[in-house]
Amino acid sequence: MRFICSAIVCVLFCVNILSAQTNKIHAITFHPMYGESKLEIDSSYKLGVNDNLQIEALKFYISSIELLDKGKVVWKEDNSFHLIDISNQKTLTVLCNIPSTISYDQVKFNLGIDSLTNVSGAMGGDLDPTKGMYWTWQSGYINFKLEGKSNVCKTRLNEFQLHLGGYQSPFNTLRSVVLDVAQNERADISIDIKQLLKTIDLSTQHHIMSPGAEAILVSENAIKTFSIQKN
Amino acid sequence: MAFKSLKDISFAVPKSWPKPHYDFTKNPLSTSKIELGRVLFYDPILSKNNTISCASCHSQYTAFTHVDHSLSHGIDDRIGTRNSPTLMNLAWHSSFMWDGAINHLDMQALAPISHPDEMGEKIETVVPKLQASKNYRSLFYKAFGDSVITGQHTLKALSQFMLTLVSANSKYDSVMRKQTQFTVQEKNGYVLFQKNCASCHAEPLFTNLQFENNGLALDTTLNDYGRMKITKNKNDSLKFKVPTLRNIEFSYPYMHDGRFKRLSDVLKHYTTGVQHGKTLAKQLEQPILLSSNQRVDLTAFLLTLTDREFLFNPKYSFPKNNLK
Repeated sequence: MRFICSAIVCVLFCVNILSAQTNKIHAITFHPMYGESKLEIDSSYKLGVNDNLQIEALKFYISSIELLDKGKVVWKEDNSFHLIDISNQKTLTVLCNIPSTISYDQVKFNLGIDSLTNVSGAMGGDLDPTKGMYWTWQSGYINFKLEGKSNVCKTRLNEFQLHLGGYQSPFNTLRSVVLDVAQNERADISIDIKQLLKTIDLSTQHHIMSPGAEAILVSENAIKTFSIQKN
Repeated sequence: MAFKSLKDISFAVPKSWPKPHYDFTKNPLSTSKIELGRVLFYDPILSKNNTISCASCHSQYTAFTHVDHSLSHGIDDRIGTRNSPTLMNLAWHSSFMWDGAINHLDMQALAPISHPDEMGEKIETVVPKLQASKNYRSLFYKAFGDSVITGQHTLKALSQFMLTLVSANSKYDSVMRKQTQFTVQEKNGYVLFQKNCASCHAEPLFTNLQFENNGLALDTTLNDYGRMKITKNKNDSLKFKVPTLRNIEFSYPYMHDGRFKRLSDVLKHYTTGVQHGKTLAKQLEQPILLSSNQRVDLTAFLLTLTDREFLFNPKYSFPKNNLK
């Protein structure tokens, strides 16, 4: 009897050690880019021949991170909401604590905040309304915020402001991104703002500040600018 | 994660009322959180220049609205575009504002805090102002077990105070509980109310919580199309949220733009002033016919919706012990 008890204790103890060792970190790092170069706040970039633009803010939500294997979800992050902010380096990397035994070939995440969270009241952490990513005059999260200046914008101070959001049909802007990843400790994901701005005519589309058809179109173009960085 | 303590209290639903919409499991009521919300509600610290509090436009004695002004005003005497709504029985509401722009009571306060014609402030700035106050650090610690102040905790505390603003003890309520009786005039008025008004102003909340076009002519100085601004759907043009009639005796002026100063103006509108447009509420397609005696009776009934216990409840008044 004593032997059996000891054996059980031993097994439990071993299982405990094993389970403690079975997780590993998979780091997802977002790299804001402007074409081939790293995107820097307030640096000057060109889109066409005669223009000149600067990016002043780039902030967006990544949510519901999942790992897939041959199209099937093998892991999903709990309470998965991350505010990525180019002006705050440490927000660019998301650490996922995953079981070391799982195999995966793709990562999937949403760009933005789901509709249920949008109607669930005051949230904390990255979702706290003090993060500047919540509309005050009409409830809802801003999924993606890009602000800057371009001489093609005939606006005050040549400013453009793209605030993409909206959770209610028919203007739900939440879109998901699926990318092939290697089973490494890390994935480096580019988001190419030049590619996004090429889909926008800044001379006319310089302000998007509310849910609507325009926000949907730009959101659909925004998800296409995410790609796995080739090393 | 909601901070739970032994001091959690349950929300009392008046007998035979529907289940509240607000999810109390995500924000369990406690006396310390309600008190914090009350202090915030009365504190002009929420505005940019520390001059305007929530109570500036939502005064208890007028059912938490702003009387004497058709359009409510904010910092630097700036005038808004709408009449501030009353605050009562908010736990049953699923949307807020005349156009339903706000989807949750927790998020409601962000709108007046940020509006340039109201408090002209940002929640990002309010939180550090509160954090710098020893009094607030202590009140937040008592309420949430954490003296680090967040936007989430600020908004949840404000919700808690507003959730306690329940008006369910008018003469009408006593009659429904069979504790007293209507006068003959009030009873006649109640019959007229049920026939002509109750489909939108549904009992017991005296609103069906829906958006309707009640036939007001567009004020071309404001060009406010109401709900359509939010849904971008032309079928919502000129629709506004049906307001409660509780405490209507004290919540003048009436309508989203405060265009009517007296109840008699309101009855005149419904009997002879309704404008027929594409989105008019179907209940108003046929004219409402009321003789002058019937108008008097209907008014007598509407006055039975006055709830003095609510209007003068010391639990809802200025928190003189804690607002320092």
